[in-house]
Amino acid sequence: MVIRRNRRLEWIARNRLHPEHSAVLMGVNGGDEIGPSGLVRKRPHDIGFIGPNGIKRIDRLGNSLATMAGAGAHKGQAEVSLPLYVVENASQYVAVVLDAPEGRLSEHDKDLLGLAQQLKAAADNAASTAVAAIIFSSAAPEAARIESYQLAGVDRLIVLPAESDDYQPEQRAAQICALTAQYDFIHLCFPDTVLGGADTGRRVAANLAERPATSVWKLDGTQLICRGAAGKTDITRPLSKVIIALEQCADQIDESKHECLALSADAITLSASRIEDLGKAQVNPNDIDLTEANFILSGGNGIEDWDRFHEAARLLGATEGASRVAVDDGFMPRERQVGATGKWVTARVYIAVGISGAIQHMQGIGQCDKVIAINTDDSCDMVKRADLSIIADSDAILTALIETLSNQSSAEFHPQEAVA
Amino acid sequence: MTANSSKDIAITTLLSVGQHPLSARPRRAEEDARALEVMLQFAPASMKALHAGDTADAQNLTVLKDYLGMGIPSIDVIPTSADSDAAEALASYLANAGDGQPHILLTGTRSEVGESSGFLPYLLAEKLAIPFVPNICDILSIDMAAGVAEVMQSLPRGQRRKIKTQLPFVASVGMAAAIPRQSSFGAARRGVINTVSSIDTVADEAQTAWKTEPARKRPKRLKVVKAKTAAERFKAATAKVQSSGGEKIYEVDKAAEAILKLLKEEKVL
Amino acid sequence: MADYLSQIIFWLGITLITLGVIGAMRRIRLWRQGQSSTVHWKGLLQIPKRYLVDLHHVVARDKYISNTHVATAGGFVLTSVLVIIVYLFGIKGAVLNWLMLFSSALMLVGAVFVFKRRINPPANLSKGKWSRLPYSLLIYSTTFLLLALPATGLLPDYTGSYLMIALLSVGVFWGFSEMYFGITWGGPMKHAFAGALHLGLHRRQERFGGGRSTGLKALDLDKDSLGVEKPEDFKWNQLLSFDACVECGRCEKACPAFAAGQPLNPKKLIQDMVVGMAGGDTAKFAGSPYPGVTGTYKGGAIIPIVDTLVPANTIWSCTTCRACVEECPMMIEHVDAIVDMRRHQTLEKGNTPGKSAELLENLKTTDNPNGYAPDSRMDWAADQNLKVFGEDTQQADVLLWMGDAAFDLRNQRTLRATVALLRAASVDFAVIGNQECDVGDAARRLGDEATFQRLTKDNIATLSKYQFKHIVTTDPHVFHSLKNEYPDFGGHYSVYHHTQFLAELVQQSKLKLNSTSLGDVTYHDPCYLGRYNGEFDAPRYLLESMGISVKEMERSQRRSRCCGGGGGAPITDIPGEQRIPDMRIADAKEINAGTVAVACPQCNAMFEGVVAPRPDIKDVAELMLDATVFEEAH
Repeated sequence: MVIRRNRRLEWIARNRLHPEHSAVLMGVNGGDEIGPSGLVRKRPHDIGFIGPNGIKRIDRLGNSLATMAGAGAHKGQAEVSLPLYVVENASQYVAVVLDAPEGRLSEHDKDLLGLAQQLKAAADNAASTAVAAIIFSSAAPEAARIESYQLAGVDRLIVLPAESDDYQPEQRAAQICALTAQYDFIHLCFPDTVLGGADTGRRVAANLAERPATSVWKLDGTQLICRGAAGKTDITRPLSKVIIALEQCADQIDESKHECLALSADAITLSASRIEDLGKAQVNPNDIDLTEANFILSGGNGIEDWDRFHEAARLLGATEGASRVAVDDGFMPRERQVGATGKWVTARVYIAVGISGAIQHMQGIGQCDKVIAINTDDSCDMVKRADLSIIADSDAILTALIETLSNQSSAEFHPQEAVA
Repeated sequence: MTANSSKDIAITTLLSVGQHPLSARPRRAEEDARALEVMLQFAPASMKALHAGDTADAQNLTVLKDYLGMGIPSIDVIPTSADSDAAEALASYLANAGDGQPHILLTGTRSEVGESSGFLPYLLAEKLAIPFVPNICDILSIDMAAGVAEVMQSLPRGQRRKIKTQLPFVASVGMAAAIPRQSSFGAARRGVINTVSSIDTVADEAQTAWKTEPARKRPKRLKVVKAKTAAERFKAATAKVQSSGGEKIYEVDKAAEAILKLLKEEKVL
Repeated sequence: MADYLSQIIFWLGITLITLGVIGAMRRIRLWRQGQSSTVHWKGLLQIPKRYLVDLHHVVARDKYISNTHVATAGGFVLTSVLVIIVYLFGIKGAVLNWLMLFSSALMLVGAVFVFKRRINPPANLSKGKWSRLPYSLLIYSTTFLLLALPATGLLPDYTGSYLMIALLSVGVFWGFSEMYFGITWGGPMKHAFAGALHLGLHRRQERFGGGRSTGLKALDLDKDSLGVEKPEDFKWNQLLSFDACVECGRCEKACPAFAAGQPLNPKKLIQDMVVGMAGGDTAKFAGSPYPGVTGTYKGGAIIPIVDTLVPANTIWSCTTCRACVEECPMMIEHVDAIVDMRRHQTLEKGNTPGKSAELLENLKTTDNPNGYAPDSRMDWAADQNLKVFGEDTQQADVLLWMGDAAFDLRNQRTLRATVALLRAASVDFAVIGNQECDVGDAARRLGDEATFQRLTKDNIATLSKYQFKHIVTTDPHVFHSLKNEYPDFGGHYSVYHHTQFLAELVQQSKLKLNSTSLGDVTYHDPCYLGRYNGEFDAPRYLLESMGISVKEMERSQRRSRCCGGGGGAPITDIPGEQRIPDMRIADAKEINAGTVAVACPQCNAMFEGVVAPRPDIKDVAELMLDATVFEEAH
């Protein structure tokens, strides 16, 4: 029998990128290739698979080709179980007082747990030292939360009772002080968050007559590096008992899992607080300083009807900003000017209405998260910067926004009013 | 609150010598100046300004003059050397003030030089055994009869919270308070600096062991790629950065929806 | 009967002149409420010359009124002298009669033109008592003309014509009242009495005879109260100068802030100072108000001015462009008065508006108005390889003063161009680098004399360490301060504005310029180079050397309209109806200019802030750089 060479198939078999490559390899002849001599040839190239990056991979671990292919690869990995880090018979503790708003760890909390683990490793008796996280909560945390604590490096968890989320710094400091008396923590770490850990931590330190290390941003061996002089200097100082640390003070824990065993706190009777939280005050968005505002609606040269602009800002609950031209033309007061020559803003959302984006203005909004541009010119700098651009007349868009918002508010609130 | 009672009270503001972040020149500390402004605006019957520091230093005196220029007639200075603990000096001065102890003691939230720990007001409150309210921006009212005061506390992102506290108390004033008034040359010239003597100052020994140097730039944490396989590392290194060039919408009727959707995603609405 | 008339004239004359003298004493007492200041007695002898030369030079910018004034005032003075000789001293003579005829006729002609101008007066003229003046002038001149006619024999004697005598008596009474009594009792003729004295006793004697005196007067910081709080805090000769105001409103026409609808009217300001000095209220003022300000305000010599008599925004609207001073025929110094009041507000009250408090604080802590790190002043020149005094050299021919332009991206271009041009001309120059402090111009105009003097002393101390022949700067404000204000503090330098220095280089053929084709170019005179320092030609010479024929805007040179950037005006930021730079760019658009050549970083910044479409804004140095022929380095 004369074996005729099918040169096309041979070519396809050589060409890994050919769409029919694998089918050809599997063989029109039932998977076996018959060589020119009539013998069945082994195909060493047939083992393995082509990875997502186009490079051939040979899987010697035995994972099947099917599970590795495509999206399945990532799922497989998430289930890789991290090594569990166990502290048996903990004799001393590094305490971390977490902000944990609603029980959820903030990035700052995780950084702090990383720092606590470093402190633990640096402690004299590291093997029997545990990181104890302290949270305030009215109820025990749910399982999912516990797991997140485990992954963030919490060896032990102490839940202190909290009646409410009100600002009760004296109570909380007293609770932590009592706990310190109970467990004699070697370190007490607080996140340096305004009115959070920064406040509680200093209260605790004052109560314990300890000098806190504040604005800590790095643990260097057994030395702490702190920011001093309002951020202008670095102070290297020995470890202290109370440590109030900045964000990113240490790498977060991500390669180990921790026990997160519950520790109990002795019940204490709290004396009446001398400070009472009367609740948040209503703040008119326009009374918020532009540099602090979270949500800014900013108007520029493209606005014809300023009343409509103000109305839209009111309905959106946005702080009003303006471009230099709008201020110069007297439509907005000077302190509302955004830009290099005005205010440098840090809003989460910045809506630029009819602002084409002079370089000074773009500098001023450099730190905003999301920018929405409303402009008639789709080639202007603001549209290039924006995450969402509306290319249309600004007044029309503002009108549409006002209509939608007032429809929504009537849909949302009026029925309740009717019931009431 | 009744107008009379609120004005009968005594407020003392602690002043420190600040430092300009760029030129490193001494200046009015921004927050202390705001604290002084809060006091001047409230205009109680008794207003005092207190400073603990080195009176021999000409530059310090210039800064104190700048505070005087805001319209406070005099500043009491507790002479301390640069290496002594100002907190101890202030605490013992205030503790021994007797009747002169103020109802409200205002400070900035932290100093602009030295350790800048922001611990001083906490320490003072602890030593004087009175409450402390951090980061206020205004004194709202004072009820002398009930012995309580209401203050406005500033939270991040321009939010405010009302706090009721017992008198007397210590409060730190943050940057959200009213911008301090201009310092006038004439008032500065007329103001008086009184040196308060007979305070034993304690040297700050802990600080001698510290090493202070100009702030290093903190390394910014990069997005850490925890890739387990070469393929993932490869992908992480070569993956196209998500384009920031945003979506463009040309139709008016879709625009409002799109905007509101984004606002809701960002939780600002 | 004629004797009766003579008797009437005699007694009326005696009475009203006596009352006039009493009024004069009273007026002098008002001026003496002011603070002491050098009395330039010799100046009194110069009055006629100053009137005829310096004052007339200003008045003559309006030919109509200058001719009118020569006729009226000349006629009046001559007539009055004759009236005194003839009727009071009783000296008679035909020559006197003919002279009287001539002088009163001359005055009558003038009075007719004054009257004509008042038929439909422009907005800048005051009404009220000033509307009465043409009638008084007509009556006075007609009366003495009618009295001179029979005396010269041209008409028969009026003897027997009781009506005529009665009319003439009324005329004499009216005329004498206005001219001899009113002149010292606050009538419109007050300007003649106070004006003449003011010309003689002017606080800036250097201004006469073609001189210039534009630097602000130094303030003694050890005095009890700094600046002007109440009218009596002015120097006595300033109070006198306010009384000299003739309410012609030329300042009002020239004032950029007034035109922009900001609450400033230099004329009203001066009149308010008169109200303050004499006591009373502003109800009688019959000119244009401060734009946007209504109501009557009260004042007195010992009553604080700001916010009682004059709104605070009025004194902060001024750009210190000196257009009003330049236009004032009575040589009143409006800017001095405004800065004096600002000094009190800033130094004593700590009440400087807008962002100025921040600016002054920045000057204190960083030596520059915007609070940049003082050691970053040289950052712009990282690639320029400049010689720095103290680091690379101790001496150079030229010290290049960088000014605040060093921190401003836009004006750094001007600096770079200037550096390139100086290099092309092989000029040996160096900068003082980070040791340079702000020159203090803005601080001083904002009334912060203390900061100005501190900066001045620091700068003078730095400059004294190095040897140089000239200072060259691209900033007219720096130029003015170094040249005209630093000498008061012991800093005497040969200062050039870059256009002046470059013009010399071009003249000496050290720089060669090609022709450029830029289309229509106009040149905007910066106030601090032009009006303050009289330099109009150097920049124009440079532009012409590039083959540009400068198209002049309607207001140029001495009458150039301010850009709105001076005197801290962009910082105090007083609201108006429109912006001054917009108006100036409108001037440029009116003549279809494609490029506005400027010579000042402030003008540059203000004009570039005008919304497009607008002409290109280029510094003269930048234009030159494009046109310079660079020779190959050997």
